[in-house]
Amino acid sequence: MRIIAAVLLPLIVPFVITEILWALPGDPIDIMCPPGLCTGQAQMAQRLCMADGAWHFYSCWLSHAVELDFGRSLRVAQGEHVWVLLRESLPTTAALVGASLLPVFVLSSLASANLLPRALDYLWQAVGLVPSVILSLLAAAYITISYGAGSGDGVPAMLRLGFGALVLACADGTLAGAVIGTRSVFDEEIKARYIQIAMLRGESTFLNALPNVTPALIGQFRGRVLHIMSGAVIVEVVLDISGLGDLLWDGTLLQDFPVVLAAAFAFSLMSGALLLVQAVAEVAVEMHIRRAPAVPHDAGEAVPA
Amino acid sequence: MSTQVVGAVERAQRIKTLWLIAGIVLLGGLALASWIAPENLSPPPGSFKERMAASYLLPWQRWPFGTDGMGIGLLEYALQGARIVTFPAVVAGLLVSSLATLSGLSRCADIGWTDRALQVFTELVGALPRLVVILVVALAVPREWRSLYPIGIAWALLAAPGAMDEAAATAERLGGARFVEALRAHGFDAVRIYVYHIVWLNLRSVLVRQGAEVMMQVVFLEIAMSYLAAARNEPSFTHGDNLHSWASLLYDGYTSLVGGVPMYHALGLGLGLVFVVAFMAQAFRMSARAR
Repeated sequence: MRIIAAVLLPLIVPFVITEILWALPGDPIDIMCPPGLCTGQAQMAQRLCMADGAWHFYSCWLSHAVELDFGRSLRVAQGEHVWVLLRESLPTTAALVGASLLPVFVLSSLASANLLPRALDYLWQAVGLVPSVILSLLAAAYITISYGAGSGDGVPAMLRLGFGALVLACADGTLAGAVIGTRSVFDEEIKARYIQIAMLRGESTFLNALPNVTPALIGQFRGRVLHIMSGAVIVEVVLDISGLGDLLWDGTLLQDFPVVLAAAFAFSLMSGALLLVQAVAEVAVEMHIRRAPAVPHDAGEAVPA
Repeated sequence: MSTQVVGAVERAQRIKTLWLIAGIVLLGGLALASWIAPENLSPPPGSFKERMAASYLLPWQRWPFGTDGMGIGLLEYALQGARIVTFPAVVAGLLVSSLATLSGLSRCADIGWTDRALQVFTELVGALPRLVVILVVALAVPREWRSLYPIGIAWALLAAPGAMDEAAATAERLGGARFVEALRAHGFDAVRIYVYHIVWLNLRSVLVRQGAEVMMQVVFLEIAMSYLAAARNEPSFTHGDNLHSWASLLYDGYTSLVGGVPMYHALGLGLGLVFVVAFMAQAFRMSARAR
């Protein structure tokens, strides 16, 4: 089911956007290129495969997309190849999302091992109530005041990325969800009878529980990555980070359909890849459990007498 | 000992009632604000010089929130912002709660296909970053129909699988179909079993919490989308050009931080309104917390 969804997702997203383009009032080519603003609609319709309906456009677009040809931008960066825009923005978004996952991963790992005080949960929850736009705005203000409005390279650029990652990790309940969610999965599992028996045998509760909670944790982790990718749109625009979210926002705002199609396709590819990773990880964990590995005795905590 | 327990339960009940009152008062305040909000902002009458004299006034110079650079009271911005968000956010919250209720009830009624349908929906729709879907929805809405309703409803539909899953899991913990059978054996009718015992007594905390969270998220989404549009000097997807979102206050406040424009009071008001919405959602959550 998950693998099917992973394969279908990158196909469905551009299809839905294509259908939306054709469902909008007016001729799609006139929406892309309003008659008052540009000329040569007929040639453009031929070039973009828009002359023979939605399905023809979709199949044409998909066949070009396989060859990494997403057409040219109409408004965001007029005339520029969309693939070039994607290639420039993808690494930035990947770095932003990756950096924001670091504190989330570290803190939820500490929480799963019970090394993070539960009293701090209120702190994560309080910070998580603040929307990402507010935290980004404060970060943007700090950078602009410290380095000037046009500061886009060197330390200010690093700061934008760092603050952006921190905002993504903390805002909108990401960190709170990760810490509390991970801990509650372990708390529930530790109530199981096999864990109590493992404790009596002097084995580690953590190592015993880990294989069984891993599928749930992977699912949660995929949810967090998606949540962070969603928030990246806001953070990138407010903090002026030229990433995929920034590109998608500009494309939507300016109704630049080739850019929106390509950016949404890129997001759906990443989402599909995450689904695949989750499916493969679940199968791997299942195989590991079936192999019934032995848990080392000395890895566990001592059983109280 | 039992008196102490009864006392503690009664105290907890009183606190929950206070949270509920706080939530209702704040929501009522927002609804009232949206009802009395002006159609258009009204710059002060008089000559250019008089208008300049009325600009950038602080709250104690022009009650209650001061004025902006054109001499327009920030109260009007606050009222118009409430008008943009209040009802779409409530509709989104109610939609999520309704779908979660249906999911919980279907688990108790032992309707199997709903679980399968929910799983397919979650796998496909839930696999995409929500804001990407929202932007596609925003793109689909013609400019002349700009409103927060389609975006809020789309957000509610994206949030629904999680809420439905939690409601179904809560119903499952109750015992699902066996719980209904047991209550039937007591002679209760279907309305009492499903509406009172399942929804009111057991699913209420999940439904209210999920609804309140989505309500808050829709408000924050509107602020974010309007702020991003303002940052690009473009019209927002969420409201017509005659209305101003709370994001305008934050944007003006931001310019005061980085540009030295004396609009710190706008930033304070914008942050205050965000806090009010977060507090309202928290109040509803606390009022429906399970024992």
